[in-house]
Amino acid sequence: MNCIFTEKVSSLIDGELSQTETREVERHLMSCVECQEMRADFLSLRTRITNFETSLQPTVQNRALKKILATQRRAPALGFQWSFGKAVAFASLLIIAAISGFVVYQGSKSTQTGSSVAVNTPTPVPSSTVQQHQRPQADASPAPKKENEETTQPRQTPSAPKRKIVREPRPGEQFAAIPEPPARPADARPADARPADAETMTAMHFEKSETLLRSFRNFRLNEAGSATEVSYERTRAQQLVYQNMMLRREADARGDVQVASLLETLEPILLDISNLPDKPDTDAVRVIRERVERKNIVALLKVNSIALARANDD
Amino acid sequence: MASEDEEFTMLFQDFYPSLCRFLECLLGGRAPLAQDLAQESFLQLHRTAWGTLPDGEARFWLYRVARNMAINEFRKSNTRYRLFDRVVEAMRPRARNPEQEYETQERQTLVLEMLQTLPEDQRTALLLREQEQLSYREIGQVLNISESKVKVDIFRARAALRERWSKRVKTVGASAS
Repeated sequence: MNCIFTEKVSSLIDGELSQTETREVERHLMSCVECQEMRADFLSLRTRITNFETSLQPTVQNRALKKILATQRRAPALGFQWSFGKAVAFASLLIIAAISGFVVYQGSKSTQTGSSVAVNTPTPVPSSTVQQHQRPQADASPAPKKENEETTQPRQTPSAPKRKIVREPRPGEQFAAIPEPPARPADARPADARPADAETMTAMHFEKSETLLRSFRNFRLNEAGSATEVSYERTRAQQLVYQNMMLRREADARGDVQVASLLETLEPILLDISNLPDKPDTDAVRVIRERVERKNIVALLKVNSIALARANDD
Repeated sequence: MASEDEEFTMLFQDFYPSLCRFLECLLGGRAPLAQDLAQESFLQLHRTAWGTLPDGEARFWLYRVARNMAINEFRKSNTRYRLFDRVVEAMRPRARNPEQEYETQERQTLVLEMLQTLPEDQRTALLLREQEQLSYREIGQVLNISESKVKVDIFRARAALRERWSKRVKTVGASAS
């Protein structure tokens, strides 16, 4: 590695050089064997690292998603704080009412000029009032426990301002906590579970791939020999390749030949798009487009995604 | 809420597999641990940061958190490769024919071995570039380092791997002859 351009070769294959630098390095590459070899080796390394397959199984992915979504449903320990706060507020109100009642009574008593009977009668009144008012307070203490035991149960319509008084949610937690308990009746679960279903995932994958291939097929090419911007399509393809691999493996395992073979046809096309350089030559794009046309893959994806979606609806 | 869940589901399905792959390579092939950490990263995103991050930031946030978790794992069990991980890996169902499976396994092991020879920061930068197609600026954002450091790290990683690869090829060639 004696050549001064070696580091730039690395940046070149990453598309991180300016146009001037790119031209300069490309010119240099035409004459420097060392840099040519280095570029070839770097690209070969890229292929090896990019082709690394994760051993993730779709079932594991589905489980993880369900777990995360379910955790959010369970999340609010706020349940306890809420009802505890409510109980405390209620009890405080009662105590205040009792005290003010007592004070008012005392005031009226002092202004009264009645007999000793009249003085004696009120004595039990405040005490009974206090007792009466203390009962809800005593009742209120088990209430939070009950709520605490059933944190997933919908709570009694707490109003939003009170919630803030009880506890200021941390950033992000507000989103997780507010709509949860009331918005999650048991019958809402199947709808949440749907995306995690393998067939739904395959249908979604077909749909995404179809959109990508349509976009790839339809964008306008620059004149022959010049570079075309495909970074969006490339990134999408990169994301879809992994899912394609997993879904293909899954389809193979469950013996779904039709889906497996379609995924198998799709995979090299996605790989080709994801391995395109940042600004590929128009011809390279055209070759992939022709393959897409030849295999009629867009129509096949459409048909299969609709079929799968219908099967899922049934 | 439902649409937010759907959005999250879409993000999860788009990035969970690639995050697992990234972590698997970073952790030297410990697939179950990688999947756990990826799940934990998404869980944290869902609990704390989802909805507060600007558009397009979630992905970087995930990689940053996942990488930090991986570093914690390195500290906890530096070279210990848990037996359980190996057992789970060995029991993993495989759909291909055994020969094909063996070849893939060999190739994957080689890539992992080579990556493990790199320092962690170089390895992470290279993986984010090659597998996740992030630009130098984006990698800098994830790793909280400058673009020029990213550039140097990636170049050094490539140069080191290239050298080791050629040595290995020579060794294999010599032993074959």
